[in-house]
Formats: sequence, C-alpha cells, structure tokens
Amino acid sequence: MTYHLVLFVLIILLALAAVMTENILFSAIILSLVSVGVSLILFTFGSPYAAVFELSVCAGLITALFISVISLMPKEKNLPKKHHLKSILISLVFFIIAVINWVYIIPFFESLSKYPQLNIHNYPLGQIIWEDRVFDLIGQICIFAAGVFAVKSFFYRQNT
Amino acid sequence: MTNIFSIDCYFISLLFLVGFSCLLISKNMLKQLIGLEIMSKACLLAVILSGAATNNINFAQAIAITMILIDAIIITVGLSLLVKLKNQL
Repeated sequence: MTYHLVLFVLIILLALAAVMTENILFSAIILSLVSVGVSLILFTFGSPYAAVFELSVCAGLITALFISVISLMPKEKNLPKKHHLKSILISLVFFIIAVINWVYIIPFFESLSKYPQLNIHNYPLGQIIWEDRVFDLIGQICIFAAGVFAVKSFFYRQNT
Repeated sequence: MTNIFSIDCYFISLLFLVGFSCLLISKNMLKQLIGLEIMSKACLLAVILSGAATNNINFAQAIAITMILIDAIIITVGLSLLVKLKNQL
C-alpha cells in the first residue's frame, strides 16, 4: 500500500514539474517518466497487458514523437522570464483545490466504494478483446485509418 | 478512516486537475498536448481502478488498451498539425 501511494505522489509531482517547466524538451522527458510511473501503478493493480502497452506506446512512441517535433520546430527567441509569479500562483491554487478535494471529494468516493462485484465469469483478456468487444476493434481500426489519412493529408506533396 | 479506493480516486482527481490546468493556462500548443496526455493518463488510471474495484480487471484492461491507442493517434495528429502550422508560418 505504501509503495502504491508513493507512486501516486511521485506521478503528481512529476506531472506538476512537466506542466511548470519552461523548457519543452524537459517537459516531454518528464512526461515519459509520468508514463513509466503510470505503468508501474497498472502493474500493481494486476493489469500487466495495459501496463506494457502504456510503457511501450506512451513512454516510448509518444516521447519520441514529442522530441522529434521539438527538434523540427524553429528555435524561439529568448524572451524575458515573466512566469515566476504565474507558477507560484498556479501551485497555490493547486494546493487550495487539493485541500478542498480532501475535505469534500473523499467522502463522496467512500460512498461509491460499496460497489457491486459485477464479474461472475472471469473471462480471459483474449476472449474479451476478440469475442466480446469486437466492435471496439472495428472502431480502433477506423480511428487508426483516420489518423493515418489525416497525417498523410497534412504532408501531401504533389509530384511535378 | 478512509479506504484505499477513495485515496486512489483523490490522487487521480489531482492528476486530472494538473492536466486540465495545463490545458487551460498554457498558450503553447505543445504544452497543451502534454496537458491532454496527463488528463488521458488520469482517465486511464480511473478505468483500471474501477475495474480492479469491481473485480473486472480484464474487461478494464481491454478498454484501457483502446484508450491508449486512441490517445496515441490524437497526439500524433495534433503534433503533425503543429508541424504543418509552424512550417506555413
């Protein structure tokens, strides 16, 4: 349980660092660390397939995409830093909302925790993906094709 | 005494709040995409947590895999749009 909570706190601190860092490259690298933490939490929940998928796609592919896009973008001129007060204000507002959440939201989630145990037949993951939720696969293929065509149309080059 | 489910939900709501505030405050589009990514991670954790709580972890994993794939495609399209926009300006 302690390991679990430490991971959650670490993820939130890393996410705050990713949001507040002005250097976007550091921000993307810290985001990959957040993904690693999320995948560790998924392992502790007993869902290894989702954890491996998260680790390979979010911590690997998306970070590589972010870094390549940052390297493709033109460098911005060095502007004077005016964000010090803004970051302090953001962290103050975040702290206040966290305290309010602790008072009001935790009793709400405690009332939700009398959940029904829905699963009668513990089906394996392969049967759920390939038999019960085949319609999801069709949706995934459609979204994948839409993404590929969108990227292709953005970088369309006419042959002369 | 609070139970572990509610504490996990509390942390997930904080993570969602971090991503949402980044999406609202930041003017840089790359930072906004990072905020979107953090929000989607919070939603993913919420799905897996609810699956673990209701003893339906395999079902939650199937939905989580779908969510990760859709999230990756959204980020890819957003980044390509950004590169196209920067090249045109």
